[in-house]
Order: sequence, then structure tokens, then C-alpha cells
Amino acid sequence: MQAISVMPELESTVEPQEVMVPPQLLSGSQALMESLVAEGVDTIFGYPGGAIMPVYDALYDFQEQINHILVRHEQGAGHAAQGYARMQGRAGVCLVTSGPGATNLVTAIADAQIDSTPLVCIVGQVAKKLLGTDAFQEADVMGVTMPITKWNYQITSADEVPEIIAKAFYIAQAGRPGPVLIDMTKSAQIELMTRPYVYEKCQNIISYRPRLAPKMEQLEAAAKLINEAKRPYIFAGHGVQISKAETDLLAFAEKTGIPVATTLLGQSTIPTNHPNHVGWLGMHGNYGPNVLTDQADVIIAIGMRFDDRVTGDASKFIRQAKVVHIEIDPSEIDKIIKAHAPVVGDAKEVLKALLPLVDKNDHTIWRNEFRKYDLIENETITTPELSGDTEKIKMAEVIDLLSRKTNGEAVLVTDVGQHQMMASRYYQFRRKNSLVTSGGMGTMGFALPAAFGAQVAAPDRQVVAIIGDGCFQMTLQELGTIVQNKQPVKAIILNNNFLGMVRQWQQLFHSRRYSFVELQNPNFVMIAKGFGMEGHTCNERKTLSDSLDQMLAHDGPYLLEVIVEKEENVFPMVPAGASVAQIRLK
Amino acid sequence: MTTYTICIFTGNTIGLLNRITIIFTRRRINIESLTVSETERHGVSRFTIVIKHESRDEVEKIVRQIRKIVEVLAVFGYLNDEIVYNEIALFKISTPLGSKPLDVETINKHHKAWVVYWGLDYVVIEKTGNETDIFAFFDYLRQYEILEFVRSGRVAVGKTEKGLVEYLPEADWAYTL
Repeated sequence: MQAISVMPELESTVEPQEVMVPPQLLSGSQALMESLVAEGVDTIFGYPGGAIMPVYDALYDFQEQINHILVRHEQGAGHAAQGYARMQGRAGVCLVTSGPGATNLVTAIADAQIDSTPLVCIVGQVAKKLLGTDAFQEADVMGVTMPITKWNYQITSADEVPEIIAKAFYIAQAGRPGPVLIDMTKSAQIELMTRPYVYEKCQNIISYRPRLAPKMEQLEAAAKLINEAKRPYIFAGHGVQISKAETDLLAFAEKTGIPVATTLLGQSTIPTNHPNHVGWLGMHGNYGPNVLTDQADVIIAIGMRFDDRVTGDASKFIRQAKVVHIEIDPSEIDKIIKAHAPVVGDAKEVLKALLPLVDKNDHTIWRNEFRKYDLIENETITTPELSGDTEKIKMAEVIDLLSRKTNGEAVLVTDVGQHQMMASRYYQFRRKNSLVTSGGMGTMGFALPAAFGAQVAAPDRQVVAIIGDGCFQMTLQELGTIVQNKQPVKAIILNNNFLGMVRQWQQLFHSRRYSFVELQNPNFVMIAKGFGMEGHTCNERKTLSDSLDQMLAHDGPYLLEVIVEKEENVFPMVPAGASVAQIRLK
Repeated sequence: MTTYTICIFTGNTIGLLNRITIIFTRRRINIESLTVSETERHGVSRFTIVIKHESRDEVEKIVRQIRKIVEVLAVFGYLNDEIVYNEIALFKISTPLGSKPLDVETINKHHKAWVVYWGLDYVVIEKTGNETDIFAFFDYLRQYEILEFVRSGRVAVGKTEKGLVEYLPEADWAYTL
């Protein structure tokens, strides 16, 4: 799609090699490379094309410092950079061309924006004098990405490069992280700087100074509520992971004895088997953690934003409780749920500062309330799901077995749908930073490229992608990237031949009128083999354990297709728009 | 519906207007008027946006969303009684030979409006004031043929003794001129 124009390009009269280059002056492209190196960038996910060629030419000389990974589609570059960023806790970098290259990145940028993932996306643009002329592969990428980036900027002169790249990394990573897009004209890539290149890291921006350290009066108000609470309840969100506050959360929970439930993206911030951990919240979260939101008297929400998948009908959510909302983004305070004691700051700093202010306590009786509901959930859902008495394998069995075989220490990267919910339900997380999933945007096709990026970022960890058969067909071309780069990603396709979650909704809420949810699937293993990736299909329960062993033991990437029950449903379930009290167990 | 005036102070970068208006369009809020100008401090622009909304909570959320934009230095949401505000309107009135003569005295003394341009067979009258004053004057001018009528957006300053600099992040804010 990003073919180079066969027409002579209008601006190509000045090629960098034709210019006498004074040694101290860099071209915009060279300055970009130097700036990336100065930011400590060692990996770029990208795809070349006409309007980014000068940058790729400069990159040729930086192959020692920067590992450029050629993806198969720009969306793959975006999700891979997200996976990378989530594992490394710093910005993932994408490099693509103008027009379709940039628009292909849009889904990943939107995903990164809603899931607070730092990205720096560098996008080629037509030459400055062609801007606005409908030139070849020109798209108004600034306009397109403005609503879905934390910041974007168009570089039109080489001199701007060092300062803008420094700003881009600062903004992407500071405060609540997010995607930044830099649209760089081809002329700015080619032209020489008019002054010597100097790089200075951006430390702050006058108009953007996120508060990290909380205000004492906010801490005191929060501590007072927490200390007086009879049935306090912690909601741990993605912010805990972003600020690397897992140990602080544990210390806080252990001292106060307060039960902790996580959001979807907060999964693995606290070990699943920790005595304070009671489960996860939300539409397909656990029974007790959902219904007991109605009985808590103080909610301590940490780095979470009361997404509608957590609150159900927000007007009926935790009406009886006082809310302590610990959040780095002030615009999240009172956005959905009114906070009685807002604490603006970085989750880690807030928890550290709050710890000495809260009383040691023991809420065992209150925590045991959750266990009562666990018994009901186990009896009606979990035990039957894992009983192995159906003809076909169930998704839950696969995840449960995987969890045991990996000791709960793998990094799970999931796509979106039933398999995502099952992965979150049944994996017993033991290590922090172990779930990479598309939460806010719910982007199908996220898992395969994100798992690749996560594996690149964390070579010492076992990365397992859990993918649905529908999702897989959205980005399966990235198998090529995985194989070419020899990344030992393990991919499990839970194949039910359906767009399972949509089918579930159609079954439950549309009288089984199955409208375009059944798939005629290709031979996934043969596709993988076509890309040079080993794999096999598991169709029987008795071979499931061996299949997982074979996959995990394989040296290199591996695809395991598991044929699962066609029409199983994910429960518990809070129907969309209902209150959490209306949670269904069947 | 209550009228709110939102004053936004920003750095001066291309595309910022777009970033700000996206916040309103995404929430389906109509912008009643919009004025942008450089402030008395070099490099600081001021957006004055007037909206109507029934919920103060929602307006507060919008203000926080605007504050979140990286280049935004400060944002204030005001009710009408918290600001001094004005608009300017121009009326082009047809005055061909033999038409009803203008009552300049009423225009000047009662409506505090001024003829700022005399064309061959038309005049342009300038009127400053709030929406009510301007529409009262519009009503008065109906007896003539109104060829064109244009209102500027609202400009407003808060009723406080504090200066802009006290709300900006600490820096050396030089005067524009």
C-alpha cells in the first residue's frame, strides 16, 4: 500500500548526497536518529514508504544502536510498540510513512490513548510546499490524530527536530502516559539544520506539569476516611502498574487489612492468591467483588477511571460509599463518580505518603464476606467450567491448565472477547506486570502484535498470546514479523468458530438471532507453517496437557490452536447498562 | 440553560483551536461565540468561549478536560455575574435618497451607538454592549432596512483584583508590546 510513487516526486531536486555537507550540520533525518538514541531508544517498530525514506536512509547508519523491526502492517507496529511500552514502562516508538501508513496506525494510537500507553509515533509527511495540495500519499494526519493523541506536532524544519523529539518523549511518558504523534515533512527530513545539533532532554513544559507528590491536606482527608471506615474496599487499576506501585499497594493493603479488587488492566498488580486479593471487578468480573461494592462504606480507587464496564449503571454504583480517588489525571476526578476525598498524584507517591497516615487494621470479617460469594461462584460457574465433563474443551480449562504449567508467571497478552475474559478469570497471576490487553478500546487483533512487542521488551519472560479465532484473522500477518525476528512468542488460538462475545450477546439479549457471527475459518496451523512457524491443533481434552507442554517447551515461536466448545458463555455477567447488583450467574 | 464563559490561556501553537473545539464537539455542545487574541503577555493567547449548559458539573468537567491539553496554561469557567463582558456589533443600514432619516440623537444617546462609516447610500453603525443591549438596538433599527448585521464573540475579564500573571505558571512573562 505504501508503494513509492513511480511519478518523479516534485520535491526531489535536492537529494542529501548531492549537497556538500559541512561535517557539523545534520540533516533532519540524522538529527532524528541522534535524538532517538539520546532518548535511549533501542527498538523501533516500523514500515517504510515514500514520505519517510530520508529517515530510513539515516536509519541505515544507526543499525548498531537501534533495532528496527519491520512489521507487516502499520497497525502491527502500533500494537507491538504498545506491548513493548507496557512491559518496559517507557515509550514504544513507531516509524511509518505518510497517508495510509499513518492512517493504519490510527487504531493503535486510539488504543494507547484510552489505555494510557506511552507511544512516540513518527510519521512521514509530504514536503512542506506540498502541504494542503492533495499530494501523493498526503493525509491530514495532524487533524486525524488530534482527538486521539496526548499531543501531536508537525515538524516542518530540521532545526526543530531535537527540541520536539525531546518534548515528545517527555509528554508521552510524564504524568498519565499517552501517545504522541510527530508528523515530519519530507523536506524537514532532507534539509540540513542551520545550527549544530545539540540534544537536551525535556525536564518539564511550562503548561504541563503533572502533580506527582500529593498535597498533605488531601492525604489527611483520605486517611481520615480510611481510618474511620468499617468496610473499606480498594479498587486497584492500571495506574498502579504504570507507576510501578505494586509493592506499595501490597504494603498498604497488608497494613490496613483492606480487601483489594482489580480492574481488568489492574490484574497482576497484586498476586491472585494474596489474602487481601478478592478478585476482579466489572462486567465479567467476580461475583463477590461486584455485588459487595454495594456494601462498602469507603472505596479507595487507585489509578482507575470508573469505566462503564466496571460501574455498570454509574448512577447506581457505590451510592452508599464515600470515595477516596487516587489519580494522577485531575480530569478523572468526579468525571464518573464523585470523589469525597480526591488525592491527585502518582499512585506510588500517594501510597507511600499515605502508608504512615493509616492505622493498622484487620478487616478479616469484612474480607470473609467475599469468600461467601466465592463459594457460590465456584459452585455455579468455576467448578462446572473446569470439570471437564463436556464433549469439547472449554476455554476455562485451557487457561487454568496454562496457569498451572507456567506457575502463573507468564505474561498473558490477550485479544478482545470471550477468550480475553476467560484469560482474566482463570489465570492465577503471581508476578506483576503480567497482563497486556486492550481494555478501553477493545481492539480485536491487538494480541498477536502486542505479544510480539512484549516479548521483544521482556526477552526473559514467557509471553503467551491468548487469541480468538476472529481476532487472529485481523492481524495474523504479524506471524511473519515474529518468525523473521525469531521471537519465541507462544500463541494460543481458542477456536470456537464464532465471534463468541457477540454471539453470547445475541443469545442472551437478541433471542438467539445469530447475525453474522459464525466464521468459516482457514487452517490456522497451515497458515502458521506457511510463515515458518511451528504449531498444531488440539481437539481433544486428553491431549490438552501434552499440547501445552509441547508449545511451552518449543524453542521458538509456536502456534497452538485449541478447538473449544462452540457456544459457551462467559459468566458472571453484568448486562450492559444494568447495575452491578443485577449481575447474572447464568 | 445557563450561560458560561470559558476563558482559556494557552501558548501560541498551530492547531490548538482545533484541539479545544474537539472537546466541545465530542460532547455535542454548541459554541455560542468564540474570540481569540493575544494577551498582554508575550506568547500567551486567550480564548473566550461562550456556551449554554444546564449542568454546572458538566461544565466543570469540560474545564478540566481543557486544562488537560498540553499547551493550556490556565482555564476558568465563569457565570455572567463573575465577569465584565462585552461584544461589538456592526449594522449596515440602507439610507438611499428619500428614505427615513436616521435619528442620530437616539442612536447616540439612548443606544450608545455610533455611526462609524458614511457610505453613499448606507451607513455603518457600531454598537458595543451585551447581547441584550445589542438585540434591543437591533429591534430599534428594524424601522430601517438592515443590510447586514454582525456580532463579534464575547470578550470578558474576571471580576477580581488579580492579574493574569498570578494564574499562570511561574515564569518571566514579558508584556507583548
